[in-house]
Amino acid sequence: MSAGALFSLGQRALAASYAQLQTTSNNISNVNTKGYSRQEVELATAGGVFTGAGFFGRGVDVVSVQRAHDEFLNREAGLSSAIAEADSTRSLQLQRLEKVFGVGESGIGKAANEFFNAYSDVASKPQDLPSRQVVLARAGELASRFNSAAVQIDNLQAGITIDLKTSVAQVNELTSQIAQFNEKISAQRGTGQPPNDLLDQRDTAIRDLGKLVQVTTIPSDDGTVGVFMGGGQALVLNNSSIDLVAMPDAYDSSKVSIGIAGQGGSQTLPDSFFTGGSITGLLRFQASDLTDARNLLGQMALGIGLQVNEQQGKGVDLLGQTGLSMFRFASASGLPTLPALASSLNGGSASVSLTLQSPASLTAASVSSVQAADYRITADGSGGFSMQRLKGGAPDPQYSAVTVANNSVVEGFRISISGTASAGDTFLLQPAGGAARDIALDMSNPKLIAAATPISATLGIANAGTGKVGALTVDSAAVGTNPNLPATLRFQTTATPGQFTYTWTDGAGTSTAATWVPGQAIVYAGTNATNGFSVRIDGVPVASSTSPVVASDTFVFAANPYAATDNNNANALLALRDNPLIGAVWSGGTLQAGATAADAYSNILADIGVRVQSAKASADLSANVAIEAEKNRLGKSGVNLDEEAARLIQYQQSYQAAAKMLQVAQSIFDTLLRTAG
Amino acid sequence: MRLSSANLYNASIDNLQRRQSDLVDLQMRMTSGKRVTMASDDPVAAARAERAMVSEMRSVTSQRSVEASRVIISQTETAFADATELLQQAREAIVAGGNATYTDSERALLAGKLKNIREELFAVANRTDGAGSYLFGGQGSSQPPFVDTPAPTGVQFRGVSGQMGTDAGTALPLSTDGSATWLTSNSGNGVFLTQAAGNSVTGQAVAGAWISAGSVIDPSSLFPTADTGYRIRFTSATDYTIESYPLATPNTVTTQSTGTYQEGSAINLFGMSVAIKGTPANGDRFEMTPSTPTLSVFGAVDTAIAELNTTNRTGAQRAQSTADRLRDIDGVMGTIAAGRAAAGDTLNRIDNETTRLSSQKLNAQTDRSNAEDLDMVDALSKFQNQQTGYDAALKSYSMVQRMSLFQYLNV
Repeated sequence: MSAGALFSLGQRALAASYAQLQTTSNNISNVNTKGYSRQEVELATAGGVFTGAGFFGRGVDVVSVQRAHDEFLNREAGLSSAIAEADSTRSLQLQRLEKVFGVGESGIGKAANEFFNAYSDVASKPQDLPSRQVVLARAGELASRFNSAAVQIDNLQAGITIDLKTSVAQVNELTSQIAQFNEKISAQRGTGQPPNDLLDQRDTAIRDLGKLVQVTTIPSDDGTVGVFMGGGQALVLNNSSIDLVAMPDAYDSSKVSIGIAGQGGSQTLPDSFFTGGSITGLLRFQASDLTDARNLLGQMALGIGLQVNEQQGKGVDLLGQTGLSMFRFASASGLPTLPALASSLNGGSASVSLTLQSPASLTAASVSSVQAADYRITADGSGGFSMQRLKGGAPDPQYSAVTVANNSVVEGFRISISGTASAGDTFLLQPAGGAARDIALDMSNPKLIAAATPISATLGIANAGTGKVGALTVDSAAVGTNPNLPATLRFQTTATPGQFTYTWTDGAGTSTAATWVPGQAIVYAGTNATNGFSVRIDGVPVASSTSPVVASDTFVFAANPYAATDNNNANALLALRDNPLIGAVWSGGTLQAGATAADAYSNILADIGVRVQSAKASADLSANVAIEAEKNRLGKSGVNLDEEAARLIQYQQSYQAAAKMLQVAQSIFDTLLRTAG
Repeated sequence: MRLSSANLYNASIDNLQRRQSDLVDLQMRMTSGKRVTMASDDPVAAARAERAMVSEMRSVTSQRSVEASRVIISQTETAFADATELLQQAREAIVAGGNATYTDSERALLAGKLKNIREELFAVANRTDGAGSYLFGGQGSSQPPFVDTPAPTGVQFRGVSGQMGTDAGTALPLSTDGSATWLTSNSGNGVFLTQAAGNSVTGQAVAGAWISAGSVIDPSSLFPTADTGYRIRFTSATDYTIESYPLATPNTVTTQSTGTYQEGSAINLFGMSVAIKGTPANGDRFEMTPSTPTLSVFGAVDTAIAELNTTNRTGAQRAQSTADRLRDIDGVMGTIAAGRAAAGDTLNRIDNETTRLSSQKLNAQTDRSNAEDLDMVDALSKFQNQQTGYDAALKSYSMVQRMSLFQYLNV
């Protein structure tokens, strides 16, 4: 056995220890480097030399430097951080949206109530101009609160558009980086050693990508990974990446949808392809929360604005004229424009427009039976159309599709379809979408507030019963010009005790007796559709009978000659605050009451509040899951300084021991030389 | 298990930051005193607070319209009091006018006094609340509501009778029906009207006798046939015939019975009892007709003025006039008194309404406070807790992070 063996052993040991010290120092150096995985030196025995006395070890070999890495933990951390990013992005956006809907003094609810309550002073003093001026000021305040809320929502949309465009650019940058890393890694495969730093960098890029859009990776034999998003859409294959494109929404160019760049142009990706990452959070917020907020706000603006306008039209102003509209919506006529947007992908020439339309036989309630929802009309190509209510951009499963045609009246509006549609052409209807942005005060002269009713009711002097005129509802202000007025209402007893009939006596004679149902409105049919009215008699009037001879109580309805001092319509306008018509549903021939202005706003508050609350909760939850997963991943891959310190001592000692070995070998060699010499 | 040093630092820093932001959040709530500053803090409470705020605003608004009603009705009540006082004076003047020793010129002086009273009554009827609303404007009227027109129409109400009211929630009157209170009292004694109807023989007015206002003795036999009048016609100085006639055609006469006149003793007919005094002449007629709601305050005074200004009347005519006018004044005073009572009632209702509204407002405020205000004691103790927690976190952080194996290596 040669003395060289000992030298060789020592040298190998020294090299191995030095390699370990080097790796440990590298670990310590990179303790704060993003994406760095702890590295370890892999050692192996150098094999043995056979002698008659058996195998003598030849020392240690440095086989490889490996990074500490666990594919499962890595995947887990990527997945959970993608979901956490989606949740926290939506939560942050919702918290911004929530600021649009202030509570208490800063809210739209307060402005709406102050507006209605201002009519109380007009009712107390109908001819008082300052009280009327206050109504106008409050109306202006209400309209501008709606406008500013709508503008804030639009600003949020603009912010999302920018965020999405930036995110898409980042995604494209990262996917092209990943493709480049793939190329380099596969090139270094020939060395037989893992390119640790390149692998770390690629993992980091994939993790960063996952925070934008959730991806899955599939490794291939050549060391590259394929990167796929939800729905199997590839983003990186081998050395090439496929770009995402932020493109204008097919219906509404202010919205953004994400598409994939292809050879024949970009193709929109359905939202279901996005399962995590901040882009998903933004898309979800855009499709569901922002649209809902805009619709709820618009529904409220429509409900209040149109009801007030309609009630104004039933009254007479201080100038003795039929009341004019108080609010206007942007279009030239002052009436609301109900957006109906054709898809940019449509092949046919059809166009769709909407107008507000009361369902037949529903008069006063029409204006607010518009629902806070979007709808989609799809053409079957052979002249038929079906309409589906949407929720978050997708069909709402609670509502089944209905067949519609030109001039169909549904959900509070009339659909007009012109041109011919190809099969699959779609249109997006947003009946309530634009109202909050468009509503504006359309009155500057306080004298134009219609505080008076066009007709007045007078009780006969000799009335002995408790009957009083309750709610008096006119078809329109034209009722004052009905040539047959005054009309006298009288009651008659019948053979059934407790049951009365009533008759109208006017310029055209006396009507046939009809049964009176206490509490229900008695209709006076005018000479046309606009000059009739209905009245409810509260209490019990004395009805006429022949034995003993009793004359009926009389209620005389005549054109109101003194409109300046009358306050009945001001009271009716004030009573609108209790009218549950916002979001009322017209279904199966009956009206299901909606909410009053105050309740409607409380409901919006609660709705948005619950969304924010649950979004925050799920963001917290998924963030904790992500933190835990990241901790586990770093538990495997991360650098612990105490550990490295211990290792440093360990390897230092082995280095010293190896050096000692060389010293021993040298002294043996010296001994040998002396002995020989 | 291995902990990554970098991750450990980051996690600790995150944790400290979270605690700090919680602390700031709680501190902000304590400063504002509100537990709910955003809907998401507690959506249910936010919605409840919103509703309570609406209810509070509504109470305040309703209270304003109640106050508007109070201003008008209390002034109306005063106006009624003034009217009663004036009518009382008118009554005294009429009584004085009946004094047999007065001369025509003295009666003319009384007529002048009544004229002044009438002017004042007219001003009371057209009184405003001082801010442009007429107290007796009804549901709407010309401005002013009462207009003087030439006789025989006299004062007219140019408006819509009825009441203007506040909204359905409070339903208080904002005006009083001027027509009902001033112009449409029941004529006569409230049930029937007696009057001297002239002499059928001479064609002159009744000169020697007069009839009382009469009273009801049997309500069930009053005016058995609708739209019928009754007439006592003297056929001599001592005999009379009771006749009935349709109101539309007073000359279509049906004789009902006859009787003998005794001065001052009651004549009973169809549930009515009337007394005739003086010395009737052949052909003198006295009529009894159903009362109609046509008696006006101004009409009563106007008639009195006209009669006091009439010269050369017999004593019986003056007695008839005094009796009739006093009856009329009493009639309209009754209506005014009823109106005053109604106004007083309304003021009571206003007080009740005010109480109700203030308790409704208090309830709403309490409800809102319960929903959104911060429980200070709870918040303070939470704050203390969080402060301690933050303090401990900072201390332990500084201690744990100081510990490193490198500290012990003396390389």
